[in-house]
Amino acid sequence: MDPECSRLLPALCAVLVDPRQPVADDTCLEKLLDWFKTVTEAGPSLLLLQENPCLVELLFRVLKAHDPRPRVLSFSLRLAGLFAAQEDCFQYLQVTPSSSVSQQGELLPMLFGESGPLGGAAWTAPTVRSGWLQGLRSLAQHPGALRFLADCGAVDTIFSLQGDSSLFVASAAGQLLVHILALAMRGPAEGHPSPQGCDWPACAQKIVCHVEDSLRSTATPQVTQALNVLTTTFGHCHSPWTQGLWVRLSPLVACLLEKDPIPASHSLVDLLLSVARSPVGSSDCGLWETLAQTLSHLSPTQAGPLALGILKLQDCPQALKTQAFGVLLQPLACVLKAAAQAPGPPGFPEGATGDSITVDTFLSSKSACVGLLCQALAHLELLQLLPQRPSPWPQAPLLRAAVAILRFCHGSAAPTSDVGGHLCAVLAGCVRVQRAALDFLGTLSQGTGPQELVTQVFAVLLEYLTSPDSSPMVLKKAFQATLRWLLGSPKAPSCCDLDPHTQLFLGELLPVLRKRLCSPCWEARDSGLEFLTQVTRHWGGQAAFRHALLASEVPELTGQLLRDPESYVRASAVTATGQLSSWGLYATPTGPEHPEVQQESLFTELLHILSTDSEGFPRRAVMHVFTQWLKDGHADVAEDLEQFVARVLQAASQDLDWEVRAQGLELALVFLEQLLGQPGSRCPYAVALPEAAPPATLAQVLQALCRVQLFEFALRALFDCDRPVAQKSCDLLLFLKAKATPCGGPQEAGASPDVVSVEAALQRWQAGEQGQPLGELEPEAVMAVLRSMDLEGLRGMLAKSSDHMEKSPQSLLQDMLATVGVLGENEADCY
Amino acid sequence: MPEIRVTPLGAGQDVGRSCILVSIGGKNVMLDCGMHMGFSDDRRFPDFSYITRNGRLTDFLDCVIISHFHLDHCGALPYFSEMVGYDGPIYMTQPTQAICPILLEDYRKIAVDKKGEANFFTSQMIKDCMKKVVAVHLHQTVQVDDELEIKAYYAGHVLGAAMFQIKVGSESVVYTGDYNMTPDRHLGAAWIDKCRPNLLITESTYATTIRDSKRCRERDFLKKVHETVERGGKVLIPVFALGRAQELCILLETFWERMDLKAPIYFSTGLTEKANHYYKLFIPWTNQKIRKTFVQRNMFEFKHIKAFDRAFADSPGPMVVFATPGMLHAGQSLQIFRKWAGSERNMVIMPGYCVQGTVGHKILSGQRKLEMEGRQVVITPTLPPPALSHACCDTAAGVMQVEYMSFSAHADARASCSCGQAEPENVLLVHGEAKKMSFLKQKIEQNSVGKPRRGRACEGGFSRACADRARHLAEALSTPPRGQLLYAANGETVTLSTSPSIPVGISLGLLKREMAQGMWAGHAGWGGAAAGQVAPQTAPAPAPAPASQGYSRMPRSPGSCRHPIMKDSNFRLVSSEQALKELGLAEHQLRFTCRVHLHDTRKEQETALRVYSHLKSVLKDHCVQHLPDGSVTVESILIQAAAHSEDPSTKVLLVSWTYQDEELGSYLTSLLKKGLPQAS
Repeated sequence: MDPECSRLLPALCAVLVDPRQPVADDTCLEKLLDWFKTVTEAGPSLLLLQENPCLVELLFRVLKAHDPRPRVLSFSLRLAGLFAAQEDCFQYLQVTPSSSVSQQGELLPMLFGESGPLGGAAWTAPTVRSGWLQGLRSLAQHPGALRFLADCGAVDTIFSLQGDSSLFVASAAGQLLVHILALAMRGPAEGHPSPQGCDWPACAQKIVCHVEDSLRSTATPQVTQALNVLTTTFGHCHSPWTQGLWVRLSPLVACLLEKDPIPASHSLVDLLLSVARSPVGSSDCGLWETLAQTLSHLSPTQAGPLALGILKLQDCPQALKTQAFGVLLQPLACVLKAAAQAPGPPGFPEGATGDSITVDTFLSSKSACVGLLCQALAHLELLQLLPQRPSPWPQAPLLRAAVAILRFCHGSAAPTSDVGGHLCAVLAGCVRVQRAALDFLGTLSQGTGPQELVTQVFAVLLEYLTSPDSSPMVLKKAFQATLRWLLGSPKAPSCCDLDPHTQLFLGELLPVLRKRLCSPCWEARDSGLEFLTQVTRHWGGQAAFRHALLASEVPELTGQLLRDPESYVRASAVTATGQLSSWGLYATPTGPEHPEVQQESLFTELLHILSTDSEGFPRRAVMHVFTQWLKDGHADVAEDLEQFVARVLQAASQDLDWEVRAQGLELALVFLEQLLGQPGSRCPYAVALPEAAPPATLAQVLQALCRVQLFEFALRALFDCDRPVAQKSCDLLLFLKAKATPCGGPQEAGASPDVVSVEAALQRWQAGEQGQPLGELEPEAVMAVLRSMDLEGLRGMLAKSSDHMEKSPQSLLQDMLATVGVLGENEADCY
Repeated sequence: MPEIRVTPLGAGQDVGRSCILVSIGGKNVMLDCGMHMGFSDDRRFPDFSYITRNGRLTDFLDCVIISHFHLDHCGALPYFSEMVGYDGPIYMTQPTQAICPILLEDYRKIAVDKKGEANFFTSQMIKDCMKKVVAVHLHQTVQVDDELEIKAYYAGHVLGAAMFQIKVGSESVVYTGDYNMTPDRHLGAAWIDKCRPNLLITESTYATTIRDSKRCRERDFLKKVHETVERGGKVLIPVFALGRAQELCILLETFWERMDLKAPIYFSTGLTEKANHYYKLFIPWTNQKIRKTFVQRNMFEFKHIKAFDRAFADSPGPMVVFATPGMLHAGQSLQIFRKWAGSERNMVIMPGYCVQGTVGHKILSGQRKLEMEGRQVVITPTLPPPALSHACCDTAAGVMQVEYMSFSAHADARASCSCGQAEPENVLLVHGEAKKMSFLKQKIEQNSVGKPRRGRACEGGFSRACADRARHLAEALSTPPRGQLLYAANGETVTLSTSPSIPVGISLGLLKREMAQGMWAGHAGWGGAAAGQVAPQTAPAPAPAPASQGYSRMPRSPGSCRHPIMKDSNFRLVSSEQALKELGLAEHQLRFTCRVHLHDTRKEQETALRVYSHLKSVLKDHCVQHLPDGSVTVESILIQAAAHSEDPSTKVLLVSWTYQDEELGSYLTSLLKKGLPQAS
């Protein structure tokens, strides 16, 4: 431990035990424990306690306090647990009395035994119960701890805490039981103990018997607790003894399936999946039978998660997988049946035909119907993305079902059956189902489908994009699904343009997009712009797309949205126009023969946004567009590169948003790389330095850098009050310095440049004076200053960040001590 | 029995990371989704794993409601919606929706770029999250779905802050978020409709405090600033971009105008415009005075407050600067602090809370040596704290003065238990400290017996100013909740059973008849409501829990019979005749029978006559008849005498009666069992 911390500790311990002194907030005690955890993990705890007797004293005093403060008591329990994790320290705390004459007794039993906080008034505070459990969790690391737990009767208390009123305490109790069980089974018991448990350690037997009793209980909470403990056990412990445990307990678990209703079905599903994923699963054939039985016993809603879990398993009998897939498909099969006008094409595989139970669920209530459908759609969406998804994948019926659901929701379906009518009534305008179905439909774009079906998909998407009833969120999802289907659509036979169906759809889509860009709802405009950006990024070079887009008013509207009242929309419009412009699609009236006229106007407009927009998002977007233009070698940027860079840097350097300034430095770095060549590694912390540039080139480059005022921007940014800006600047200047200075070589000969004005400016900036510009700079002077600067040192200091100070244990201890006596109104205040 | 369950995942008995799960009428709602500024790891967010255990988040939660834009109430939202995976609706007011992203961006900047955290939400995630938001207007009833509805009310506190009423059927919960019952210079006081929610979840930041007069605090603040400026010093006020900064700006602007002061006041770069933009945009959310004068003069167009340029910090002479961030942990405020810290003429005023680890926290706790970016800044107070100062140190030569003045806008004890017009059945205190909540509860319980004596509040262990406030507290708590006052630690679930209140219609005629018979008064507590609440026909009246059969029996009085009928999901209270008619049913007669054996050697007819005479003499108020067939009747009770089949000296009396006369029937049987009087 740091000597300074050692020096501060006694005072802090004294404060903690003094009931008159207010304790700093919980976060301080948490951070203090974090620090002790680091310290105890790094070295011997015993030595720590011996060198800092105030810590043991603290534990004694808290115990002896008449009315201990719950927070401090909880802290002490956890602290004692951290120390006792090491066996020698555990022994020490078991037997060593306090140095103070008034304090006698065995510390650990006093803390965790029945004579401790367990019986006190403070036990009513959840934080104390939680601290007690966490302390034991830390402590239970060695055989001695097991004996201690048995002797002090802690296990019984943990059993009772499983049903605690606090979720946190109950959960911690369950996890501690698993931890103790695993600890008990470690060592001599490890191997293949008998399922009967006659050779199991007493502690383990006790826990298993408790779990058995709980599984037999008629009270659902107790069954749930037992199932949760077992789920954690099979999830975390993969030793052979778990096999014996399952052999012993699986009959009891199977008995639960015979009850009606099945108790704690959610936890039961978790347990069965946990066992199936563990090594136990592969060796127990009876498990698959239990899983199959469970699938058929549970209600459709309860069975869904189990079915998905089964389908995610790597090794599992095909019949079970088929059954599970059938469960997931049932709701959609019902929908298909309900939507059918006449006997249609083949539907789902056998076993998924829309059984009566699912129909009953649909008919029982609106929330049940909506819940089941959303769950099925989400599960199938997840499944579609998995490599182990069932094969053959019923793409066509799934597509039909998704389209049918969307039509039910939209009110455009005309069902003939009773169930169809019911679904129509229940799903009409249901945003929740619409969202889930659109997500699912988007995922289905990964597969193919018959053209007639794809046409239906585009038609229903267009319905949603057009409908005034579509909520902003639904609209966004409709745009996303449309994008996925568009980008996944097949190319024309020539592979260089869009297929005729897609072209036809585009003809219908663009007017809808245009309408959405004029929507009074900003979310709709923004989603439209995001869609446009993405589709242009992928199809900007496709003739059919270009033609359709230029024939629409979409590019002009996008330009108008640069002045949108909503900053998010302006930012999206900036990105979209930047993308359009990159493909020469921004200027509609002009042909490709005169793009520069429009391009110049867009550059000016974006520069105007960069200089004047009151919000950061559009300005940041502009910087991203400009950086991308520079990287891509945009023709119009390349035409007068220096002018472009100079104007952008000038605007960025004065920006109030640190991200814009940082992005300005990013753009400057791209510029430098284009002039000097890329560094060997783009990692700013890489040790390898880039190769030096030839002197003739270098001189020209430096002149250019002076002309665009990159030096002034970078040097000023070096002392920016926002650290990321200073860091970026430091990296940039280091790159430049390395390029200009051959590794280990001498500096160029010649007259000493005049560095006085530069150094003076640097000093002013360092002192926080930002007012004076540098004026005309000589490249040699700048380079001389750069060479004289300890940029590596500065980078090291910046990398530390002010958190280096804020997070240090000394700082924490000082803060806690300093708070004494001044807590009052301050602590009650908030944001 | 229906119940409401509430589990705080954060801010149960602390401040920060507000996140409260409410389960009402089968719907699950999350109230606020905040972060804790004191942590920089996973602990900064509520532990959502306790919700994800219940399956998919979006399936489990019906909606998320955000009360206001402070990060301890919305800071975890992008993480929750974009990283944990909640895809459902998020409700907040329009100003909150507009301002939230700005504060979330600030937070992201600190977390990602200053602390180098990679696994954090991005700007795009913030935007995607905000697109899931459904903006609500004040007093607008929003149907989340067919059963769940929410309604927002003005909460004061900060621009756009709202209290929410959540209602499912007849059950309702009101969540206050942070609120302020006292109007300030730019916001009004919290206000809610007169309502009787089953539960009020209220903040209790100042649960044991009756705060000093705001005027006093303002006077102190102005005095300090003025004195510093007069002696040529500079005043730094670290603030967050939006919130109490605007309050202080209006305060200083007005003071400067009145005193005709010339020293410049600056506001952190860019934020003046931004703040003005939002305050102008949402002018209806400000207080009445600002709204009224807005046309003539916009209070947010300051004459004396100008945008700050970094170069100004070095200008000689006095000035006042509002700079961000508010905890002096980075950026411009920290830079200015470093620059000015060395002069005794200067002053820093901290108007809000600072978390441990920040420079703000250090100077507030009186630390003298601060190491910042490799440099040591020394603040050495040599004088004791002045009487007026709320906290911390004042100084002598060579160092800056430090002042703490709380301008946070929270409800104090006077408001915490009543929240204006809401008359809750139960109250759950959140967003405060356990000890103070317990103290408050104790005081309320005492108050319901007798008001505490002056100074008794000190017994709770609150040394600071509690004694002076006890009297106010007692006054404040004159209307405690009708049910329980509760508080729960994070992770603890509070469960409340609710008595469902079901609207029932009743015809005017029946109501008048019942009233005339005085029956309602007898059932005042029935169904949880008083007789006076019953209204004719269309107005709802309380009824007992519905009988699934369609109608159920109610307490009956002689000559009166009413039944609730459920038709088309509506309950109506009608007479039994009407009920039978509407239901198309004939009345069933249910009779109880009993045999009484009497030792009587006479003939059956004589025995019957003896019975008649006996009853006639005993039951003077009832109509006793001897029928020609030898039977005796009393009301609906029929008595027939018969010979015993085996014992001729014994007669069997067959007694039967309808269930309406059950009491009389029982009485008669017991009377007859005692035997008949000997004939004279």
